[in-house]
Amino acid sequence: MTNNSRLLSRRRFVGNFAVASAAIAIGPGSWVIRPDWANAAEGPIRIGIATDLTGSLGFAGNTDANVARMIVKGINDSGGLLGRPIELLIEDTASDESVAVGNVRKLIQRDKVDLVLGGISSSMRNAIKDVIISRGKTLYIYPEGYEGKECTPYLFCTGPVPAQNCDQFIPWLIKNGGKRFALPGSNYVWPQTINAYARKVIESGGGEVVFEEYYPLDQIDFSSTVSRVISNKVDVVFNTIVPPGVSPFFKQLYQAGFSKNGGRLGCVYYDENFLEMNQADEIEGLASSLDYYKTLTAEDRVSAKIQSAYDRQFPAKFRFSAGSAATGTYRGLKLWEAAVKEAGTVDRDAVAAALDHAKIAEGPGGPAEMAPGKRHCRMNMYIGVAKGGQYEIVARSAGLVDPKEC
Amino acid sequence: MSNVSSTGTGARVTPRVVEVSQVLPVEASASAGRQRVLPILEMALLIIASVAPLFLRDYITVYATRVLILCLFALSFDMVWGYAGILSLGQSLFFGMAGYGVALLSRDLGIGSIFVVVPVGALIGLVAALLLAGFLLLGRHPSSIVFVSLGTMTGAYAADRLARGSHYLGGQNGIPSIQSMTIGPYELNEGPAFYYLALAILVLIYLLSRFLLRSQFGLALAGLRENEQRIAFFGYKVQHLKAIIFAMSGAIAGVAGSLYAFHEGFVWTNMLGVVMSTQVVLYVLFGGSGTLIGAVIGTAIVEGLSFWLSDNYRDIWPIILGGLLLLVILFRPLGLISLVLDERERVGSFGPSSREKRNAAP
Amino acid sequence: MDTLVVALFEILSFGAIVVLVVLGLGIIASMMGIFNFAQGEFVLLGAYITYVVHSIGLPVALGMLAAPVAVGALGFVLEKLVVRRFYSAPIVAMLGTYALGLIIREVVRGLTGGLYLSVPEPIGGSITIGTLHFATWRCVIVVVTVLVMAASYALIAYTSFGLQIRASLENPSLARASGISTGRIYSVTFAFGAALAGLAGALIVPVFSLFADLGIRFLIQGFVAVMVGGVGSFAGPVAGASLIGTLSAALPWLMSPVVADVLVFVLAIVFIKFRPQGLVSGRGV
Repeated sequence: MTNNSRLLSRRRFVGNFAVASAAIAIGPGSWVIRPDWANAAEGPIRIGIATDLTGSLGFAGNTDANVARMIVKGINDSGGLLGRPIELLIEDTASDESVAVGNVRKLIQRDKVDLVLGGISSSMRNAIKDVIISRGKTLYIYPEGYEGKECTPYLFCTGPVPAQNCDQFIPWLIKNGGKRFALPGSNYVWPQTINAYARKVIESGGGEVVFEEYYPLDQIDFSSTVSRVISNKVDVVFNTIVPPGVSPFFKQLYQAGFSKNGGRLGCVYYDENFLEMNQADEIEGLASSLDYYKTLTAEDRVSAKIQSAYDRQFPAKFRFSAGSAATGTYRGLKLWEAAVKEAGTVDRDAVAAALDHAKIAEGPGGPAEMAPGKRHCRMNMYIGVAKGGQYEIVARSAGLVDPKEC
Repeated sequence: MSNVSSTGTGARVTPRVVEVSQVLPVEASASAGRQRVLPILEMALLIIASVAPLFLRDYITVYATRVLILCLFALSFDMVWGYAGILSLGQSLFFGMAGYGVALLSRDLGIGSIFVVVPVGALIGLVAALLLAGFLLLGRHPSSIVFVSLGTMTGAYAADRLARGSHYLGGQNGIPSIQSMTIGPYELNEGPAFYYLALAILVLIYLLSRFLLRSQFGLALAGLRENEQRIAFFGYKVQHLKAIIFAMSGAIAGVAGSLYAFHEGFVWTNMLGVVMSTQVVLYVLFGGSGTLIGAVIGTAIVEGLSFWLSDNYRDIWPIILGGLLLLVILFRPLGLISLVLDERERVGSFGPSSREKRNAAP
Repeated sequence: MDTLVVALFEILSFGAIVVLVVLGLGIIASMMGIFNFAQGEFVLLGAYITYVVHSIGLPVALGMLAAPVAVGALGFVLEKLVVRRFYSAPIVAMLGTYALGLIIREVVRGLTGGLYLSVPEPIGGSITIGTLHFATWRCVIVVVTVLVMAASYALIAYTSFGLQIRASLENPSLARASGISTGRIYSVTFAFGAALAGLAGALIVPVFSLFADLGIRFLIQGFVAVMVGGVGSFAGPVAGASLIGTLSAALPWLMSPVVADVLVFVLAIVFIKFRPQGLVSGRGV
């Protein structure tokens, strides 16, 4: 790195002028976290986070933004990336796709970020991916667990996919629940896709699917479903109903005596945030399959370090949990950091090539690595069972689980 | 406007055409000497809109294009509500159906040419509106205003739910990655090019609407809005008039929908739903109904405010927006346009101009 | 046979919930011709107040008593400040209530942090009759709904205050000419409608959990129910709500829930088209 502190390079001047005029034109502007040292030769590296800070997914989006803040601060405190500081820009996608597109455009066209990470729901990802990848020619990392089948170039997914959720989980459910499965789900892509995959695993494990049914997202009365579950003597309810319906559904199941009579509830996405939605006895024995649980901090030093660092910087409101894509955000940013170091540049093609096989040794829940050519991430998976309102880990994957996508 | 003596556009009229001043109980002479603000306002806005991209950053121009398309959408609502008095809470049905229609054209047939897409969008909107209007408005008993609004809202709601459940339509995710629109061999990307296209279409449709609403047809509509029974007694087929204006607004909403789909690059179920419908109602309410330009202004202000607020008051901007809307509704129920236009110009002056009145024999 | 009994009970209890929510909406619509777009948010407020009372350690039942009072008071204030101005332009009133609803919803969203929160039932467990289990709380909801309806009906039909309300309903100008303060009547009625919504929210929050978008779900259902039942009377919205509620709960037993959802609304609109006055026509009780 040459010593350019004496030279007012034209690029820096133009860059600063652009930022200043943007600030004047727009006002205080979106969240920009500028490093205190910005005297690097080529200016800071810019990361854009586009996530739901308001709206119904706000609880998850704010967590992701916090994780990004934590990681970027860590990188900047230890000297930056490629000797340059990282500037973090956060935009609100507001759980509303049309607002999201406008705000993501700001990141691409005004702020000219080198990476966009974000989107929680699949519809949000679909809405913003074109703006980022094709029109914006920028790299996009999607951190949330989802239904898979996203094979767009330059789009890297760091959340769990159906194979990771089901491959270990379903055999465990058959062993610890029974062979007769019910697959109630909310009516959209994720439940439908994961149920299709789950069905294969169930049937190849000797189980049978008694019924599979879908409900509108805001349905809150499940009396007919519960009745079918009981009368068909279903052993395992592999639930993919999402909030707001999931809470009354579990309550009605409990009141009909499902778990008292030995039934097992399985719900892959149910993390610590969701435990609060029902009374503890209504979800006693519920099993979920995630890439991280808070109780892991008792046995894994790295997870404990990450969790305590997060809790120290962001106490109270927004929990670091797997379901809110916090773990995917951590993985995504760290893997990208490793890829940029390997590529030696933030140029999109070079970083994408490096990111394709990037590895990190330390992450929440364990190490992680990208599956080469697949743009999806291998990670440890765990099975947790709810006991008294807390999770207890009952199974761990034998190693990093393959996503089996693309 | 001065063709009071000619027969109307297809609607049956009594042989002796009624004098304007008997239909509209307002005095034409009141505005005789007053400056007409409306055309000045329209011209000013047109000039601002035409030169804006030269001064704005690219991404703001893209945002402004989206606002222009939404202005078109708001225009469609103002036509039915401001002029015909039909509270259509389901305009998003036509907007969304056209959007989905052209998205499917792009996805399944690879068609992106503007010469196909925009007319198809208009056609889808037109047909959908005709069908819905036919069901809701025609029939032996005249339908109450609440029924029509509820019926349109339910139409939008039902379409939203059905689209969510349809795998072919992409379910809740919608249809992403719509290719760019093409004009002949030239690909139209977002930015100043699309902006000017949207502006041109908006101005064209605005002028067409204005022309239509100042004609005999618009006259009948004004009468319809003021007093439906009376206009029926004059022999106008009220339900037919309503159906026609509804269909036209559906076509305009359809054009807006097809432009929106190609500009944003994706369609999804919210385009069909009740929230979008209510949003357009709010735009027109904010700006002021019954003047066409009020719809445009309202859209621009509300969208601009949202943009600025979400930047600066990240956590609470929906509350601030709601509060502002409430203030406008409380203190300016006729919309912000009532700050510059008086009631007379809102309704529209349908009589002959003051000079003609002076020259005409009594 | 067992399934049938359980099904009937579930359908009945869900219908009761819808009636409770819609009753307030119907009363306001019948009295003032205004569809209160914020009714769903009043339900949300009732649920939220119950949650707050619970979270500071007081018994949930106390929250359920406080909720209708608090929401009713808020309704009274809002009517005087906002709604009152728009009786001559009901459409603008509707949009004003929409703006109010938006504000309330976003405020609650900010206060709950966007999460889904659970509130326990004051009376839990289930009642067993033979081999059938009926959730106690759902029974309580049905009982309370019936009591509230009976009390409202008694109030309107048999008290002098009720007489004043009916007079204002049937002929406002004559009522005013007779010395009845219709302004006060309207304020009280709006407050009553809001209080009913608050009570509904408080009662249903143990069943459905608290989240900011709780109110939106009931909004359209509410409007359709009121239209189906007939605007202008007391019995109309009750009839409409019962019908829509039971239909929404019953159809998923017979067909795919996604189809059932849309079908209820389509059927309702077709019904209103051919019987515009609704199930119960005529004004008054």
